[in-house]
Amino acid sequence: MAAPAYRRPLLYRVLGNTGVTLGGLVLLAAVAMALFAPWLAPQDPYAQDLTARVLPPFWHDRADPAHLLGTDHLGRDYLSRLIYGARVSLAVGLGVILVSGTIGITLGLAAGYFGGTVDMIVSFVVTTRLSLPIVLVALAAVALAGASLSTLIAVLGLLLWDRFAVVSRAAAQSLRSRDFVKGMRAIGAGHLRILFLELLPNMRGALIVVMTLEVANAILLEAALSFLGLGVRAPMASWGLMIAEGRENILFDPWLIALPGGLLCALVLAVNLLGDGLRDLTGGKAK
Amino acid sequence: MTGAFRSILLAGACAAALALPALADKAGNTLNVAFAAEPEPLDPYKIAGRQGLILARHVFDGLVYKDLDSGTFLPALAESWSRPEPMVLEFKLRQGVTFHNGAAFTADDVVYTLNTVTQPDYGTRYAISVDWIDHAEKVDDYTVRIHMAKPFAGAFEMLADALPIYPHEYFAEAGSEGMTRNPVGTGPYKLVSQEPGIRYELERFDDVYEGSPKAGATIDRIVVRTIPEMNTQYAELISGGLDWIWRIPPDQAEKLESRAQIVSGPIMRIAFINLAPVSAGGETPLADVRVRRAIQHAVNREAITRAFAGGASEVLKSFCNPAQVGCSQDVAQYDYDPEAARALLAEAGYADGFELPMVFAAMPRPVAEAVAADLAKVGITAQLDELQYAAGVGKWREEQVPAFFSNWGSYGVGDVAFLLSNFFGGGADDLVKDPELVDWLTTGDTSADPAERDAVYQQALAKIADEALVLPMYSFNVNYGLSPDLAFKPYPDEFARFWESSWK
Amino acid sequence: MLVYLLRRLVVAFCVCLAVSVLSFALIFLAGDPAIAIAGSGGSARDAEAVRIAYGFDRPFAVQYLDWIGHVLTGDLGRSIYFNMPVTEIIGSRLPVTLVLGGLAFLAALAVALPLGILAALKPEGALDRAALLLAVTGQAVPSFWLGLMAIVVFGVWTGWVPISGLASWQGYILPVAVLAFSAMPAMMRITRSGMIEVLGSDYVRTARAKGLPAGQVILSHALRNAVLPLVSLAAVQLGVLLSGSIVIESVFAINGLGRLAWESLLRADLPVVQAIILILSAVYVLLTTAGDLLNAWLDPRIRGAG
Repeated sequence: MAAPAYRRPLLYRVLGNTGVTLGGLVLLAAVAMALFAPWLAPQDPYAQDLTARVLPPFWHDRADPAHLLGTDHLGRDYLSRLIYGARVSLAVGLGVILVSGTIGITLGLAAGYFGGTVDMIVSFVVTTRLSLPIVLVALAAVALAGASLSTLIAVLGLLLWDRFAVVSRAAAQSLRSRDFVKGMRAIGAGHLRILFLELLPNMRGALIVVMTLEVANAILLEAALSFLGLGVRAPMASWGLMIAEGRENILFDPWLIALPGGLLCALVLAVNLLGDGLRDLTGGKAK
Repeated sequence: MTGAFRSILLAGACAAALALPALADKAGNTLNVAFAAEPEPLDPYKIAGRQGLILARHVFDGLVYKDLDSGTFLPALAESWSRPEPMVLEFKLRQGVTFHNGAAFTADDVVYTLNTVTQPDYGTRYAISVDWIDHAEKVDDYTVRIHMAKPFAGAFEMLADALPIYPHEYFAEAGSEGMTRNPVGTGPYKLVSQEPGIRYELERFDDVYEGSPKAGATIDRIVVRTIPEMNTQYAELISGGLDWIWRIPPDQAEKLESRAQIVSGPIMRIAFINLAPVSAGGETPLADVRVRRAIQHAVNREAITRAFAGGASEVLKSFCNPAQVGCSQDVAQYDYDPEAARALLAEAGYADGFELPMVFAAMPRPVAEAVAADLAKVGITAQLDELQYAAGVGKWREEQVPAFFSNWGSYGVGDVAFLLSNFFGGGADDLVKDPELVDWLTTGDTSADPAERDAVYQQALAKIADEALVLPMYSFNVNYGLSPDLAFKPYPDEFARFWESSWK
Repeated sequence: MLVYLLRRLVVAFCVCLAVSVLSFALIFLAGDPAIAIAGSGGSARDAEAVRIAYGFDRPFAVQYLDWIGHVLTGDLGRSIYFNMPVTEIIGSRLPVTLVLGGLAFLAALAVALPLGILAALKPEGALDRAALLLAVTGQAVPSFWLGLMAIVVFGVWTGWVPISGLASWQGYILPVAVLAFSAMPAMMRITRSGMIEVLGSDYVRTARAKGLPAGQVILSHALRNAVLPLVSLAAVQLGVLLSGSIVIESVFAINGLGRLAWESLLRADLPVVQAIILILSAVYVLLTTAGDLLNAWLDPRIRGAG
């Protein structure tokens, strides 16, 4: 599309793109929040005080100055829990794409590069996976291994690889017939070498876009599964779990779900903006 | 906040104006009820959920009726009874009773119903309710004998509404499925329409028999809907779209108090943590009684109960509800004492604490988290896992769960027999399998002598407490949200009796 | 073409079969169904009786073959919980979900199509950026949270719509809007990128060069080709909408298929869960297959490659 833009220096292009700048800043803030949670959080996020339950945030006249954003139903400081909650969301986002990316890219590359029967089997697996309800898989996994962060990452990782597969399959298919791959084959390069040293770097752009998409997706699904009681292990703080816990109070204390929900949206929005911006910068196509 | 509440009222008014005309109130003499969970099909022999059973008790009658206020059994479909032999109960049946379909009630109905539901292939849900019956026998049109298969102290508890009588001709023809589609009983209300699991409409049965313990209903019509979201129920209650909701968590009940009528009542259900002294994995710290006692000392049950159960809930002194017959309070007590807990742990060789996998099922997550936080203070790291009840209890039975936090409703019956035997009577839920306990509980469950029963249950409860095999938490209470005009009395068995309700 | 069609249908059938085996196995992994059915007051003895009554004591493969055998003859079995034919239960819950999903789909389409076209006419323009922002927001907001907040704002604070249920047509507004908002972004984006591609293609440029008015070019040439990818995506999105209703139905207290699926899963009502999964996967597979076929019919090149 806008070809001239590519000739400008990278940093300049990045800064010129509002989406990338904005998304990057928010994401950076979230990462900082997660990394420095112990220093940022005003109180211990796990310290319960059963005598100070569901205190409202500062704008309310019943508020307690010790708890800026109030407390939850166990009397734990809400601000501290929100800060610690960033850890779960980011860990889920990162962990999931590591697992799903590995699975999806391997399957997709194989399908696109070898074609034929391999392709057929992979596309069969993809369709089967897409028809399987995520909730059912999560329920079974929780019953087997118990609810925990690693279970959650494993479940989502095993489920969210389809887009990686589809994109890398298409990329491998189109690259397969290119001259440089044919040349590599001609000089006797092995399949694995071609796949991982030549094809993979060539589809960086498309994969980055899918990656951001799936990070956002994983963060949202963590929240949705926590909402259904299939998420992280208590007393860990997670934004999705906090929404779920605050749900009982929606009529009387809506801030209990508005705060973690707002943060969740901001984070996912940032990741999406970043992905969109990167796509524009690398010239990839929307999927 | 007042602005918000005005808006709620406004929203409610809109909702009421736009909703179906069936939404009536005191003026239309219609009681609008909401449950959060779907009622099961109305063949009460096959269901477990309280919602379906409540509806069923309005439609059907048992041979007798238990008056919870006096603790005595009143005549219902049976006028009188006797015990001609130790294993035979004889009932004189009431004459002039008609079913909702017009059929006359006779001994044939009792005999056919009981002999059908005791067949293993009928699929009666709770074995405990029917396995004591060998068969029922018709003596004449209005006399029936029940031959018992084994001695059972809870026989009358079961005959009171847990074993409803169906009209034999209709039942034989329609079967269980027909019964659920169009339930026909002798009760004070008849079902006039249903969308299974979603909406039920009951109408007062005007030909209810004279002398029925459920006679005298004043409300014409009861409309029951399933509204899964509690917040929706609150909003509708405030706006007048609903007249009766229940199981409101204490926090919300407190906030609803100024907007609706809140009634709280204690119930039979109790919360407790089972501690397994054995483990499928071999070694377990819980095998040591000192560790189990340390756990009892570590948890601040008073604070947890006050914060999360509220209302009429009480901390349990022994492993049963004080409202139950045989629930001795005279057992070893463990006060909240983290120091003592730490000392006991050190004595047992766990000065540095240990990791304790704890599964909770059918319990609110905050309560489990509060327990875990208390345990952490004495060095025990509880790994909390929330599981569906089936998955949790399945793992407990396989000895894979050292600590299982759940609750038990004793089928709403005020007798410890319906609680203790399940956990310490030698069955699958009993991981201790203590021969002494099994022996005592068997005696208690089968004896007809109240004094003897009290004595053995006292022994059993004392031993359970000494050995610290269970951490009894608290008795539940239920908060009901009512229309300001409604008079409603809650009972500890969690069975709403709308035939007693009226408008103020 | 016929061979292609047959091959796709065979694959679709195999997928449904694989999904049903997997979900059957997962239900057993999620907890002993006999204990779940016996209920929270059930003793081990009750669970044992259930196990025998419903044949859960048989080997897994036998149970599955028994079930699939009945399904293949058109018998979905009886719900253990409701003691009624599964078809009857699903029949009573499906319409609500279909209406909800269908309305949301139409609403999403009504926004996505014009917005995508307008955005594509002037890429990087103000409207394009606004549309993109809307799309990104739609992807970022978790629908259960949006649903809850919508209830607070429009149901509780302003009182514009009823808070719960579908007693009146106003009850549909919030759930449809929330569902549509989550389905719209993908549809909008694909319309936009499809339009950009087609508008840049030779024949559109030719048509324009011939002096045809812009509106006519868009309608007669560009749109027809740009909606092709939308067709296959729409099929997927409809399936996503149907399965996404689990959360939405529980938020808005709607007794539809999604809630039925979730509740049945928790009480291990095997025949109902299996039937719903089968229906959903069949709908999903058929929709994608239909989308592929439509594309193949319109674009002969795919047939050879498929």
